[in-house]
Amino acid sequence: MNNFGVIEIASTTTKSTPGWAYVPDTGPTLPAALQPTNRKRAARNQPALSLSDLSAREETRIRKELEALDRDNPRDLSIPIPPKPGGSGRAQNKHTSNVRKILQSQKTFANHLDDYQAMLALAETNPAAAAAMNAALAKPSTPTTATAKSASPAPTQSPSAAGGSKRSAAAAKRAAAKEKQEQEKERKRPAKQQPPKPDPSPSTQDSPAPPAQPPVQNDGATAADVEMPDAPPATGTNTSTTTTTTTPPATAPQPQPQPQTYPRESLILPPYQKPPPRPHTGDNDPLLVSYVPPFPTDDELRALMTAPPLSYLEARAKWGDGGGEEARYPPRTFCAVCGYWGRVKCMRCGTRCCALDCLTLHGEECVGRFGG
Amino acid sequence: MVTNRKFRSAGPPPPATTLVLDNGADTIKAGFVAGGKASEPRIIPNCIARDRHKKLYVGSELERCRDFGEIAFRRPVEKGFIVNWEAQREIWDREFFDDTAPQECDPSETRLILAEQPNSLPALQTHCDQMVFEEFGFASYYRGIGPSFNAYQDVQAVFRTPREPDTPVEIPAEVILLIDSGYSHTTVTPILQGRPLHQAIRRLDVGGKLLTNYLTRLLSIRHFDMRNETYIVNEMKEAVCYVSLDFKGDLEKSWKGTRGERREDYVNGAGVAKDYVLPDSHTRFHGIVREYEPGASSRARKGAVVSTEDVLTLRNERFAVPELLFNPSDIGMRQPGLADLVMQSLSVLPIGLWPGLLANIVVVGGNAKLDNFIQRLQMELLERVPDECVVRVARPADPITSTWQGAANFAMHEHVEQLAVTKREYEEYGAGWVARKFAAGLGVSS
Ligand SMILES: [Zn+2]
Ligand SMILES: [Zn+2]
Repeated sequence: MNNFGVIEIASTTTKSTPGWAYVPDTGPTLPAALQPTNRKRAARNQPALSLSDLSAREETRIRKELEALDRDNPRDLSIPIPPKPGGSGRAQNKHTSNVRKILQSQKTFANHLDDYQAMLALAETNPAAAAAMNAALAKPSTPTTATAKSASPAPTQSPSAAGGSKRSAAAAKRAAAKEKQEQEKERKRPAKQQPPKPDPSPSTQDSPAPPAQPPVQNDGATAADVEMPDAPPATGTNTSTTTTTTTPPATAPQPQPQPQTYPRESLILPPYQKPPPRPHTGDNDPLLVSYVPPFPTDDELRALMTAPPLSYLEARAKWGDGGGEEARYPPRTFCAVCGYWGRVKCMRCGTRCCALDCLTLHGEECVGRFGG
Repeated sequence: MVTNRKFRSAGPPPPATTLVLDNGADTIKAGFVAGGKASEPRIIPNCIARDRHKKLYVGSELERCRDFGEIAFRRPVEKGFIVNWEAQREIWDREFFDDTAPQECDPSETRLILAEQPNSLPALQTHCDQMVFEEFGFASYYRGIGPSFNAYQDVQAVFRTPREPDTPVEIPAEVILLIDSGYSHTTVTPILQGRPLHQAIRRLDVGGKLLTNYLTRLLSIRHFDMRNETYIVNEMKEAVCYVSLDFKGDLEKSWKGTRGERREDYVNGAGVAKDYVLPDSHTRFHGIVREYEPGASSRARKGAVVSTEDVLTLRNERFAVPELLFNPSDIGMRQPGLADLVMQSLSVLPIGLWPGLLANIVVVGGNAKLDNFIQRLQMELLERVPDECVVRVARPADPITSTWQGAANFAMHEHVEQLAVTKREYEEYGAGWVARKFAAGLGVSS
């Protein structure tokens, strides 16, 4: 195939950054900015990539097309804030330094994501540096750190979610790394000559200062949760009834509810309250018995319901994760001209067409575009 | 509707008025809750727009715009998250805080309930909290993920589940699988008792914006250059696009055939083809859908009839565009389609939860309005789950305001007192504490 002697190498770090930003070194790059990298996932996805028969050139074309489809406007433009129409606005009190910084920021989402990923990457290798960077980003310890135990009706987060799945393990690891940052900051705190009393004003935690600490309240709760052990579920009263099951609620005409086999002991999801369905002659027919999966225990439910959020990239669905093979189906190809199945390929550029009509049409363009 | 009001014994009573905001990338849904009642939400364009005459429109001022040709948008929300506060503040000021604002309120006497997308970046969340307290000065505030608010509705009414008249409505719903398909992306969130199962939240980066841009590309290849007409193409998408229940069949029906051939389905349209009359920016500011009239558009283009109309005949564009929700690989995206997205979410949960979640799938967001969306999802899920599994997919009466309605109900529910933080708490404990409290959520009392 004639590639005109040029092969574009796809790259992910293409964003222009106003001011500065940390750019993560994520190792081998995936081809699309729309398909950002998470190193662990990326490693798992490698086989799928190598199976792909896309050339680097086609990868680049697809990446550019996807980037174009992601835009809000067809071209770059800057639309200014119009002046208020003579009206008196909300009383413009002086901005706090936080607000001033936020209002002046011209960072895009991609910039913020790069910052965050770089911080995470750094946290794995160099917690101290990450802590410094974390502070530089004026970011409080992330919500994934399960530390919000003190004070407040906010409940404890149980990091023992789902009995050590890879994901929660990773989250725990990350959280542990964060905890190190916290400690690090704790150590640095006196050195930075912070006033000994807790900061009353959030504006003082501007930039490099560490975030305010969770308050200690007099209800006996403790703010000192430096370690991240696989804590037992919070003050479990129900831990003994580990075989607790119940029918899934609200599941309309679900598999025959048989209350006697489902102890109504779950405190989290109330048991099936309605009377059992009328007996049917087929009830005892072994051929008609439906399998009802065991309902999770309250401990399992509690772990699921209190597990911390995933990060932005962790939540992004990818091929090859549970529930689907790499691509569940082989990708379909379409005619670039009319959108019907792409059954033939242009000999010159590899573009798919449905049949001769469209191929001819494309051929005119194809020649025109590249001058033969 | 159950409206429990329990106040914490300590501290001043919460503000009497709550401003409820679902601050979307495309539109803000905004309204008040006071005295146990929710107002009707307003739908406000969340943008600063500039038309071809360089006139600027902020938020709801866009109502005054007539000619949407070549209009361009600046959006404070990117990927579902508030990124540009300079623009967002201007829009909020004009809609809520200025003296002449259509929904004026005094933040110092108001609680704010703000819906955000799941899996935000911590820095963006902090910015948001800092703006809410330090710039606007709300008295009380809760920021929670939009999908969870949907649990605070009569979900069984959405499914038309038969119910004894005296059965109380369960709020929050015990179990739902909430799919939110909006402008920026589509998310799947399993929710038990109003608590999202965070480890199972999954996102597909296909949303209304991508669909509109894809339609723009197809039209620009096949008909006219529409690349500067995002607004007009978006209207067209909303008017003519549908989710196919038989993609192969519909594709056959819309194919002209091989060399010089014109298949009968192609000639008569076979129910797939539609004509779309484009706005002309003089007398007609919005497009019109017409039944397909064989040859209408080509005759008009060739000048065979005297016509001032620009008519497009839309064929496979009508269903190939929404198809991206179910087959993102059609444009080379390496992401699973929506049904597989649901299965990936379920795969990290105990199988015992599957029946409950599969039987209570609620779809919200603008894309839920596409014809056959619900049916296609149900069809594809049935192919993927065991035969005896019940799969029910439904959308609320208004999928666009559903998250707002839920958040308004939440504002009247006792849970809000457990979750909201006051300005004083923010000042005393700091932004980090607030972020952690919001992330921890309701927890599970034991
Ligand atoms: Zn073709
Ligand atoms: Zn070619």
